Amino acid sequence: MEPELLLGLAILIIGAVAAAFPRPKTYLSRIIVLEIPAWGLLLMMLAYDEALALLTFIAVTAISTFVMVRVVERRGEP
Amino acid sequence: MAELIALYICGVIALFAALRCLIEKDTYLKLPYLNVMNFAVAGIIVLVLNHPLSLLAAVAYFVGSTLEANAIASAKAGGVQND
Amino acid sequence: MIEFLQVILAVIVLLGAFATALSRDPFNKLIALGVMIGGIMPFIVDRGYLDVAVVVALVAPVTTIFVLTLAWRRDEHGA
Repeated sequence: MEPELLLGLAILIIGAVAAAFPRPKTYLSRIIVLEIPAWGLLLMMLAYDEALALLTFIAVTAISTFVMVRVVERRGEP
Repeated sequence: MAELIALYICGVIALFAALRCLIEKDTYLKLPYLNVMNFAVAGIIVLVLNHPLSLLAAVAYFVGSTLEANAIASAKAGGVQND
Repeated sequence: MIEFLQVILAVIVLLGAFATALSRDPFNKLIALGVMIGGIMPFIVDRGYLDVAVVVALVAPVTTIFVLTLAWRRDEHGA
């Protein structure tokens, strides 16, 4: 078993638990913590040798973070 | 073995700087150690693979990570002063 | 990649993930996220995906700066 796959699974589980129960319960900390499982999923895609999936997933993660920041900014205080 | 010594030194520096960055209490004192860890990681990227394009990846990572750390420092310093 | 470097980078990535999940200040969260991304990057280079590494290195700071605008505004408003 490759080390990237094991590390990606560990990061994915840590990030999912942390995003479900964030430490201060605000939208900002939830957005920041939501980036941890994204990097874990990227490590797992790396273990399966999917270059096009990696490039697409990076772009989609950046765009979705931008959209969530705009939505929280428009809505105001949590 | 001669080129592996540089890789070991870069790994030890990266681990020390990451530990020191995460242990430190003050936010401003975290940022120089984040920069040190980024420099060590850029060295690891150059040394780990023998390919002419790996220099480009290291340059891109160097520029990006330095920009990120300085953006955090600038936002932390300017946000309080502007109030 | 040699075993020693794999162990060190895995320790850095796990510590960064735990610190991102557990710290309370948004700036400390972003700094720990930067530590975690720095640990992930040599794994991408080691598999040979140098183009992916260049794209990741240029897109990750942009994402951090997007979040940073929100953190700055929230810091000015409240705490």
